[in-house]
Amino acid sequence: MAILEVNNLVKRFGGLVAVHDLDMTVNEGETLGLIGPNGAGKTTLFNMVAGYYRPDKGQVIFQDHDITGLKPYEVCRRGIGRTFQTTKPFLDISILENVVIGGFMQAHSTAEARRAAQDALDILELSDRVETLGSELTVPDRKRLEIARALATGAKLLLLDEPMAGLTPSEKGHASELLRKISGQGITLVIVEHDMKVVMTLCSRIILMDRGEKLLEGSPKEVSSDPRAITAYLGEEYTVSG
Amino acid sequence: MKQNRGIEALGERLRTRQIPLGWVIIAVVLILLIIVPFAWKDNSYYVHIVITIFIWGYMATAWGLVGQSGQLSFGHAAFMGIGAYTTGILYSQFGVTPWLGVFVAIGLATLGGVIIGIPTLRLRGVYFALATFAFGFIILMIVKNATYIGPVYIGGGAFLTLPRAGQAPAVFQFESKTPYYFMALAMLAGIVYLSHWFNRSRMGFYWTAIRGDQDAAESLGIDAAKYRLRAFLISCALTGLGGAFFMQYFRFFSPQKVLDVSQSIQIALIGIVGGWQSVFGPMIGGFIIVPVAELLRLNLGAFPAMSPIIYGIILMLFILFMPNGVNEPFMRGLNWLERKYWRPSQNANNENNEKVGRQ
Amino acid sequence: MSEALVAAVVTGILLGGLYAVIALGLNLIFGIIRVINFAHGSIMIILMYLGFFLWYLLGIDPYVGMLIVVPVAFGFGYGIQHVLIRPMFKREKSYVVEPLGVLLLMAGFDLVISNSALWAFQARVWYVYGSAFMGSVSLGFLHLTKQRLIVVLVAVLLTAGVYWLLNHTSLGNRIRAVGQNREAAAICGINVHHIYALTFGLGCAVTAVGGCAALPFMPITPFAGMGLALRAFVVVILGGLGSVRGALLAGIIIGVVETVGAHFTNSSIAAIIVFAIFLIIIVSRPKGLLGTIEV
Repeated sequence: MAILEVNNLVKRFGGLVAVHDLDMTVNEGETLGLIGPNGAGKTTLFNMVAGYYRPDKGQVIFQDHDITGLKPYEVCRRGIGRTFQTTKPFLDISILENVVIGGFMQAHSTAEARRAAQDALDILELSDRVETLGSELTVPDRKRLEIARALATGAKLLLLDEPMAGLTPSEKGHASELLRKISGQGITLVIVEHDMKVVMTLCSRIILMDRGEKLLEGSPKEVSSDPRAITAYLGEEYTVSG
Repeated sequence: MKQNRGIEALGERLRTRQIPLGWVIIAVVLILLIIVPFAWKDNSYYVHIVITIFIWGYMATAWGLVGQSGQLSFGHAAFMGIGAYTTGILYSQFGVTPWLGVFVAIGLATLGGVIIGIPTLRLRGVYFALATFAFGFIILMIVKNATYIGPVYIGGGAFLTLPRAGQAPAVFQFESKTPYYFMALAMLAGIVYLSHWFNRSRMGFYWTAIRGDQDAAESLGIDAAKYRLRAFLISCALTGLGGAFFMQYFRFFSPQKVLDVSQSIQIALIGIVGGWQSVFGPMIGGFIIVPVAELLRLNLGAFPAMSPIIYGIILMLFILFMPNGVNEPFMRGLNWLERKYWRPSQNANNENNEKVGRQ
Repeated sequence: MSEALVAAVVTGILLGGLYAVIALGLNLIFGIIRVINFAHGSIMIILMYLGFFLWYLLGIDPYVGMLIVVPVAFGFGYGIQHVLIRPMFKREKSYVVEPLGVLLLMAGFDLVISNSALWAFQARVWYVYGSAFMGSVSLGFLHLTKQRLIVVLVAVLLTAGVYWLLNHTSLGNRIRAVGQNREAAAICGINVHHIYALTFGLGCAVTAVGGCAALPFMPITPFAGMGLALRAFVVVILGGLGSVRGALLAGIIIGVVETVGAHFTNSSIAAIIVFAIFLIIIVSRPKGLLGTIEV
């Protein structure tokens, strides 16, 4: 069942067409990988879905509701959470308070928000450091904080913009496990990533974008063995054999 | 019997130091402040100074609410003026008691906030400050030039004075300073508590988020414009209330002086010296700046220009070296005191972060 | 159209010339350094006091005094940026700072400067009289004071001069580079802070030229600067941040609006109108008429 549908989406910046006539479907519960060279329009797509940009043409439909052009906070209320390419923690407050702010989305009292925050923090394994200030966090912790924060809003769909950027290979492995845990809770994930190993192992389906258009779509095996992907982007060492 | 037990329990908690140091200090200070007007009964000058501290601490705290949501208002004196003029005129020209007039004052100040706040919702930092500045300037111009607005005599820039009514509590005028003192103290305590309460409420968290990173806040479902506007309107309303009290206490209002940009700068100065985005900061700023201002006035009275020069220098020094005011070091000092002498146990840290913590 | 109205429009254009010159200085500072010089007015007044004293004590005609005042203005501006504002950049460890902090800093500086002037010179109103180019020129029923005409001339010349400097000299290239992308300029070997200080000095110098040109007919008081600077702000916003030609155009517009407004109502209401325009512009089209900088 499709949780998110994007139809004929177009976004222009002056003379540049960042996203051109894009169709995309995201199925409930899946982990979808969004790959492509820089400038392909992936973040622009995220921004349009999340409400930061208004599409010039096309529709965004979430859980059968048209959310095209809604403001970011309205989009969040519908159940979409997102993270940012460069993390944006609230620097002056603690991890706990950061996530509590997210938790208020599905709570009425501070206590409820705190509970929602605690759950999210447990999943992201940050519970041991809840008093650390946002400004004192390491990069991997920042990434985790941002995901926990978005999770605490009760989002059903998470848009993760390069969650692995800046992480060492072992940190990436750990992060992948955490993402699998989140997916295991039934939350749909759309991940923009450049690390092919991560994408291949985590994602059940991949969409390859280039220059604002969807080039390929399919399972990791299908996409990686398609000559177009190999020539455009993947490089031979990542093809999955068999 | 029950009461005794309650007090016993309190004493018990005090002795075992379960109550954070911050609250104890506040309680002690409050008690001292309550004693002041009686201890200094013969020295109304000192009482006057403390009342002035309360008033400006109140104003700065009200102004600071806008700061908590991340914006800086550079024309707040306008709302003070609206409050003062409304109650003043309603009383002196229409005989309406300030007890009622104050509600009109709050209403008009809020209306002013709506007029300037809504169009400027999307403006970022500096441009918002400039817009509020322009608004303040326009209000000053209007007051300076309008002799009559409808049937109401504005006075065209002349001083607004309140006719003396002697001891007349019904119209909020008293012979002695004491009632004013307690009213001002109540207002200051009230607004600081309110600020503290907001800070720990959902809206306060949202203000912190908006202040920290607006895009991130919006991704978490926060309507930044709505909450910023709320902070601004609450601030305007409370500032208007303060203006009404100002009028009642000083019974004298000089638009040239009070609605001028230097007045807005002064409020900002108090807020910044104390810590403009914190709960207790602006009040602390009041306790610092007002006595300093008074000392200056006494020693340098022959050079009236000296005061603004000193204010300017203080402002510059703080912006350059301590832009977050004394609040942070003050709170850290408090935390340190607490850890070392009051409750050197692990519990202290967590609870303290909760209550006094970063604000 | 009545003669009085035409005369008002023309007076407005002359007044606008002065606003344009002040705005030119402000625009340079904001366009390149991205800070708002809240003290611009009082700095100008201090420099005008200097020009006044050169005339009063040494008999130097303000037009000649320019040769002294303008370099002093440049040095003063350079010093302000270097001593006062640069530490803020250093603290942020960046080439861009939150302009709000500098706004407050300069607001404090403004208090210090204008009140120091008050202290030193008292609230008296001081005039220059008997300088060059007295008298007026007649154009039909219009009588245009030569000295005010010179201000407009100065405005046009300065605008052209600054435009030429920015677009046709290597220094101008470097300044514009810094204005567009500070980090990139630094990587190219441009000393960004030096350019900042130069620009601030240039902004003050430009304004000083206007001030000296206005000195022959404008009385000075310690706080006269604020009113002028405020109008200049409006001009900067209306003309568009970063646009040198926009400042000239907007200056004239504002000048005309103010005098025509005063003609029909009174000067205070005219001032209110000017600030209302400011609010409307900043809310609806912050880029202004010809602006290039994103707000």
